[in-house]
Amino acid sequence: MASKMAALTRALRGYGLPVGCVVLSIVGAQLVQPYGHLADLAMIHLLGIVFLSLRSSVRTSVVASIVSIFAFDFFFISPKFALAWSDAESIVTFVAMVVVAGVVSKLSENLRRQEQAARATAARTQALYELNVELSSSRDAAELAAVTARHVAKLFGGPATVLLQTPEGALEPAESARDRTLSQSAWSRREFVKQSAPSGTAIWVPVVGAHSSLGAVGLKPKAPFEQDSEQGFMLSACVNQLATALERVQLAGAVRRTQLEAEGERLRSSLLSAVSHDLKTPLATMIAAGAALIGRTGEIEPKAADEVLRSLVSEGERLSRLIHNLLSVSRLESSTVELRRTPESVDDIVLSAVERFNDRSRKTPIVSEIAPDLPLISAEPVLLEQVLVNLLENATRYSGADSSISVHARAAGGAVLVQVEDNGPGIAEHEREKVFEKFYRGQHAPKSDGGVGLGLTICRSIIRAHGGRIGVRERSGGGTLVEFTVPFAAAREQLSREASLDS
Amino acid sequence: MNRSLLLVVEDDPEMRSVVSFTLRNYGYDVREAATGAEALSQIQTRTPDAMVLDLGLPDIDGFVVTACVRQEHEFPIIVLSARGEEQHQVRALDSGANDYVTKPFREGELMARIRAALRRPVPVAERRDLNVGDLRIDSTQRRVFVRGKEVTLTRTEFDLLDTLARNADRVVTHRQILRAVWGAEHVDEVHYLRVYIKLLRTKIEQDPARPTRILTTLGVGYRLVSSESIS
Repeated sequence: MASKMAALTRALRGYGLPVGCVVLSIVGAQLVQPYGHLADLAMIHLLGIVFLSLRSSVRTSVVASIVSIFAFDFFFISPKFALAWSDAESIVTFVAMVVVAGVVSKLSENLRRQEQAARATAARTQALYELNVELSSSRDAAELAAVTARHVAKLFGGPATVLLQTPEGALEPAESARDRTLSQSAWSRREFVKQSAPSGTAIWVPVVGAHSSLGAVGLKPKAPFEQDSEQGFMLSACVNQLATALERVQLAGAVRRTQLEAEGERLRSSLLSAVSHDLKTPLATMIAAGAALIGRTGEIEPKAADEVLRSLVSEGERLSRLIHNLLSVSRLESSTVELRRTPESVDDIVLSAVERFNDRSRKTPIVSEIAPDLPLISAEPVLLEQVLVNLLENATRYSGADSSISVHARAAGGAVLVQVEDNGPGIAEHEREKVFEKFYRGQHAPKSDGGVGLGLTICRSIIRAHGGRIGVRERSGGGTLVEFTVPFAAAREQLSREASLDS
Repeated sequence: MNRSLLLVVEDDPEMRSVVSFTLRNYGYDVREAATGAEALSQIQTRTPDAMVLDLGLPDIDGFVVTACVRQEHEFPIIVLSARGEEQHQVRALDSGANDYVTKPFREGELMARIRAALRRPVPVAERRDLNVGDLRIDSTQRRVFVRGKEVTLTRTEFDLLDTLARNADRVVTHRQILRAVWGAEHVDEVHYLRVYIKLLRTKIEQDPARPTRILTTLGVGYRLVSSESIS
């Protein structure tokens, strides 16, 4: 029904303009007739025809001009209300009107065609530009595919699919069996494939890169589609842009992998040098201490023997901490690390870490202040405890055993914000980023305390893995403030007492 | 005096001799096994009062040894392992171990755990009142007293406290608690536990922000502390 109405409107618009022009010319001439010459009336008719010719095709204009001439003759040239060709003058006028109609409409038609072509070019350039902008801001192949599919669907009015080559060198399978066959053939033969069926036309275009076929773009256009047309060129242009973007992403990936490998290599060598020194030193002490006691338990003073044994144990503990840190780093840095997250209460984690220190010989206990009723966080608790232990260990190491150290936890946005403060020497501004790097030790770091510069690196890896942030600031009043965030658990894991069916 | 017999299962000879030496120093009788198979055959010959078990044995995995022993025996098993990750602790405890100590260990800690494990729990059937430190739990009437003063607990809170009290001084894993209190279909709903532990602490702890009775073992479970236990 609606389409019939639309067709009718179009038809009316097609006939409306010429008929209207002719009628208006007659009416206008009728109004001017009492005051003007016959030539003026002819001019009014000419005006109508020029006006029409500017907007209509040559055929319409010429036909309308002839109709107009007959109307002029019929209404205004005596004998009125009859068709008669009397003098040569009026015949010249008639011929001139037809020629003017033809020439003006031809010229304006050309102009219109040029304008349309210019508009189409502009629209195409604009569409390609928009596609290009979105492609260049996309980071990975999947995103590129999605962006291209969206643009192609919008441009050609019909569902579009982008299938990419998988890492194994095959093409992603399409949803339907027909599309699987067609996409496969487009991809492997690098050919434009078009198949028309009662269910609709399917088009598959290969995405060809410099070295290989990178994928295929599928389109089910609503309107008829020809490869050797403006549309066909447009589709190839889109697909070519996708190919370029895909190759850019692949290249970037390759560069990143190389960088990672280089980074890994650098880590291994620095690890090796750190390990060789920091593992050997405590071991040497332990072996020497043990050897000193063998076979001499009777001769050595008990007090001196105790001293030797004590250093043996403390060196062993230092070694144990170091190995623990090295293992943590290697676990957290491996790409396969997956957190074992559970809903956790912040209180438990903070207290567990703080208790470890307050159990040891601290003159001033570490103060913890935790906001009441914090929502649960989704975390691997032992890892977060390790973050706090590392931070507290640093605070103790740099500010001394009787310094004032405090831990605060409160909600900030959708996360818990934990702050560890000490009144030690603080960290200089230019070092506040560097301290998180592997094997970087601050300028106040003691030379031989068993530290290797991994503590904060581990903290950052853990916090990032939890989707939080960590940073260092200056504490107001002097000292260091390290703060980190961990997002709260999803709402369904925040159980209220009412929801748990208790009685 | 009736000395307890401990079986030390450890494949590393140095470690085995250090552990045995320490235990003998504390007055226990000690027998040793270097492999899982050896341990199982020793248990056949003479049942020990407790076993200290390493997980990384050359022949049979420690978890399997635990499960085998649990089919026939009730004696406590204390796992002593270099595998520090909580999931190993949870697995060991869930498969029947009573406690878990990580290497490197402190002598005092190991001895305290062994002492706690050797205190035989009173069978449920014979028990009406349960005293854990200054907590008294009356199971028949479902009433709880803290230092002689009664506190009112909801049904779930009581079940939770009762479960922890029956295993006083031992870490009870999240799954074990959830199974006992909420039922087998809720063993993964750790958030129930977080909420109820908090509620229970506000009722029975002197300072709920610094709990001293119900202690958290991160990533593993909770432990109810009796006054005479590990400090």
